[in-house]
Amino acid sequence: MEFKDNIPIYLQIEQYLYRQIALGELKAGEKIPSVRKLALELTVNVNTVQRALQQMNDKGILYTKRGEGNFVTENTELLEETKQALINNELETFVQNMNRLGVEKDQLIPELEQYLNSEDEK
Amino acid sequence: MTELLTISNLSYKKNQKQILHDVNLQLDSGKIVALLGENGAGKTTLMRIIAGVAKNYKGQVSLEGEEKEVQRKAKLSFTDNLTGFSDSTKIKDVVEFYINIFTDFDENQFEELRKFMKLDPEMKLSQLSRGMKEKLIIALTFSRKADLYLLDEPFSGIDAMARKRIINSIILWKEDQATILISDHFVNEISALLDEVVVVKDHTILEHKTADEIREGHESIEEYYEGLYADEEDE
Repeated sequence: MEFKDNIPIYLQIEQYLYRQIALGELKAGEKIPSVRKLALELTVNVNTVQRALQQMNDKGILYTKRGEGNFVTENTELLEETKQALINNELETFVQNMNRLGVEKDQLIPELEQYLNSEDEK
Repeated sequence: MTELLTISNLSYKKNQKQILHDVNLQLDSGKIVALLGENGAGKTTLMRIIAGVAKNYKGQVSLEGEEKEVQRKAKLSFTDNLTGFSDSTKIKDVVEFYINIFTDFDENQFEELRKFMKLDPEMKLSQLSRGMKEKLIIALTFSRKADLYLLDEPFSGIDAMARKRIINSIILWKEDQATILISDHFVNEISALLDEVVVVKDHTILEHKTADEIREGHESIEEYYEGLYADEEDE
């Protein structure tokens, strides 16, 4: 896992874990790896992982069982919201990139449709 | 968060040359901190003063309230470049020496670190490459139970694989309340690991910031560090 050096790493760890959850790599109610294991896996400081997990705890995406570790919430509504936030992020990047290429808002859907149709024909 | 190290109004001269002046620094426990600065800025001297190796400085250096060098040395772990051992000394003999000198040296921990670093105890110091020497220094340093660990440029001149091993050993073996101070003149290799950054320039501490503070301003630690040195290059 490569991190961008100009964004706080705890925020990037949060994003990484949201993605793991959205992709089903971490499932609702599942225990996530220990802080030290995550730190080693991501080659970051234990304190940084702790800060990310604390934020996710505050948001309710994770919950802590005393002495057992951190678990993914079973609140499906919250999980859906998290997934939607990731989708929105991707769409935002897409729209920005298309704008830079001169594709205005009203042209986005026709461009996308044309692309999807040509993909279907392959 | 508890205060671990406090340096106030520190100055140091060697052969009538000012090496450090007006140094003030405070470090808390449980942090990984980079001491950054170009060669000759005074990083190594500052490390050696904290470690109690360089003496006759002016000002106060206090580690958990202890100012005397002997007491400070008992609370911190620093391996001074393996000077004092002859080239023919074997790794196992160096370890024997450490066991005898330091009551907090944990032999089992050293064995674990030694295996992790893939060091052969029968090897002589003269046979060790630069990277192997650094790995040995780190294994020795982390085998003591201390509140402060000092690593002086552990990544200089070593390859990417050795660097990765050293970084992983820091993540694995650092105890929660211990603080590690790592000096370097190049920050990229450890930037993801840092809680705080201390920049040394012109023989004093120029700035001390948290990594998050720097990144929250959309700046990388490298850009930040280079920015502090940039005016010099323009001259």
